[in-house]
Amino acid sequence: MPRPNPDALALTRRLLRVLIALNLLMGAGILLLLIATLVAEGPVMEALGVPTPDRNAGFVMGMRAIMVLGIAAVPITHVVLTRLLTIVHTVGEGDPFVVENAARLQRIAWAVLGLELLHLAIGAVAARTSTDQTPIDIDWGLSLTRWVAVLLLFVLARVFEQGAGMREDLAGTV
Amino acid sequence: MPIMVKLDDVLYARRMTLTELSERVGITLANLSILKTGKARAIRFSTLDAICAVLQCQPADLLEHVPGPPTPDDD
Repeated sequence: MPRPNPDALALTRRLLRVLIALNLLMGAGILLLLIATLVAEGPVMEALGVPTPDRNAGFVMGMRAIMVLGIAAVPITHVVLTRLLTIVHTVGEGDPFVVENAARLQRIAWAVLGLELLHLAIGAVAARTSTDQTPIDIDWGLSLTRWVAVLLLFVLARVFEQGAGMREDLAGTV
Repeated sequence: MPIMVKLDDVLYARRMTLTELSERVGITLANLSILKTGKARAIRFSTLDAICAVLQCQPADLLEHVPGPPTPDDD
């Protein structure tokens, strides 16, 4: 069986740690922006370049809703990245085909599904809030690739579970 | 497990050590030890064939079914 490339694994681990940190930083940033819109609405709208006619309650609430949904995505993304990091650790230890990794993959699948639903919700709020003068340009909509990826993750988790069970059986075979 | 491995008896009858058997069948001492102590969950036909060929015996000389409750590991 070919051994995993230690350099590639180390690079993946480092990349995942950076992404975990960036995700948390982004969450903190959005939270700060949300707080700023509550305590200093005018200056924040000014800084964001929102023209005065658009600064009505509906627009501001829409932006806040997008921020809240963005913050909600942070812990979900954290679940995906940390579980993935643990799976990469088990690959490094040479024993990735364990039942625990199947459970981790399933949690990742649920989390990615959650992120997709949040993505749709953010898109819906953005479409409602957006005006001609201040378009909120969020790329949203049903992406077949992403939904197939969610399905693939669920299938992969199940395959992993079966494989781990078979491997466990094989472990006691002489 | 209701299957008893009688490798010890056959080895004794042939005046052969587990280490010697391991060298002749090409199976690690650790794996043969697992088999001998009844800790194995399954045995490959190829393993059985190799052991029987070296010990000049039949599979029935090595395995015995003892009625009893299955262990939790049994599926």
